[in-house]
Amino acid sequence: MRELVRAWIAIGTQSVGGGTSTLLLIRRYIVERHGWLSHREFTEAWALSQLSPGIHLVALAGMIGQRIAGWRGVIASVAGMMVPAAFVTAAMTAAYGLIANEPLARAALSGMAPATGGMTLALALIMARDARRHGPAVIVDALVVIIAFAILTFASGSSVLVIAVAALLGAFALRRERPESGRAEE
Amino acid sequence: MTHELALFLVLLKDSALALGGLGSLPLIRQDLVATGIATDAQVVQALAIGRLSTGPNGLWIVSLGYQIGGWSGAAIAVLATSLPPLVMVPATAAGRRFLLTPAFAGIVRGATLATAGLLASTGTSLIAQGGVTTAWWQLAIGAVAIALTYQGRIHPGVVVVGGALIGMLLGR
Repeated sequence: MRELVRAWIAIGTQSVGGGTSTLLLIRRYIVERHGWLSHREFTEAWALSQLSPGIHLVALAGMIGQRIAGWRGVIASVAGMMVPAAFVTAAMTAAYGLIANEPLARAALSGMAPATGGMTLALALIMARDARRHGPAVIVDALVVIIAFAILTFASGSSVLVIAVAALLGAFALRRERPESGRAEE
Repeated sequence: MTHELALFLVLLKDSALALGGLGSLPLIRQDLVATGIATDAQVVQALAIGRLSTGPNGLWIVSLGYQIGGWSGAAIAVLATSLPPLVMVPATAAGRRFLLTPAFAGIVRGATLATAGLLASTGTSLIAQGGVTTAWWQLAIGAVAIALTYQGRIHPGVVVVGGALIGMLLGR
């Protein structure tokens, strides 16, 4: 158990920027270094974690911890990955807070805003690209993206409602992949 | 209801209804910025620090929690973002078959496509925060950030730091 906590603390504190860098470290520690999961088990856990609400990597840590040491493993893995990393994040925020009102920091913020905005837009494109179906169904998928965009941009509609309606619609109207496309269901 | 409990419930709800660490951004912005609890400047700082800090990038919510409520705000954010994804632990044990059905794939696809649309709207408004006064170089930073992030070859921290440096040069 101690080794499990140590591995997750290392994953949480050594990966910078989240996403792929964290995923690669999880794979290195859990599969390659300790052999707690096989490559196949890891890939399956990763695929299932993509279906989770919230932070996918927390779901992945929880599922891996459960396989290794039951519920104690879940808590050890998630807390190990999240708590020290969250401490670093809060400490960085506190440090930035000391200089946030300086003119130079304000100027930096005026450049960081469009940078984070652009990164958010790119993430939207990547999410849409990965979730879309092939063939004529892509038009329906694109319409869902455009309508959600328009509702928030022009009508300030409820984001929660947009997601809930789209999920409901998805259960009935967005489920089918063209059989001949040969693309695996996500 | 105390402020702490209210913040916890908002972050818990928004994490539970979003897909991915950044998926909750439009929801959190609507719940906290539109109501005056946080500002867009704080959201941008949180997003930037989330990209520069260690751990999953969903930790931007912890940075925002710290800005709103200090260390207790950060602790609340850790708890609120850690709980919803854990629903997958019993779900994969009990309902693995359901998770692999076309209907569930459709639910996830619908939620993902809608989240993409909402994130696109949020990203656009973060780039054009200054409205008509948005400078050409801010639009250029936005465009370059889109291209670099989409390609995925450059570390996200570099994009944030690059934006900050250009801001220091041109935004004074």
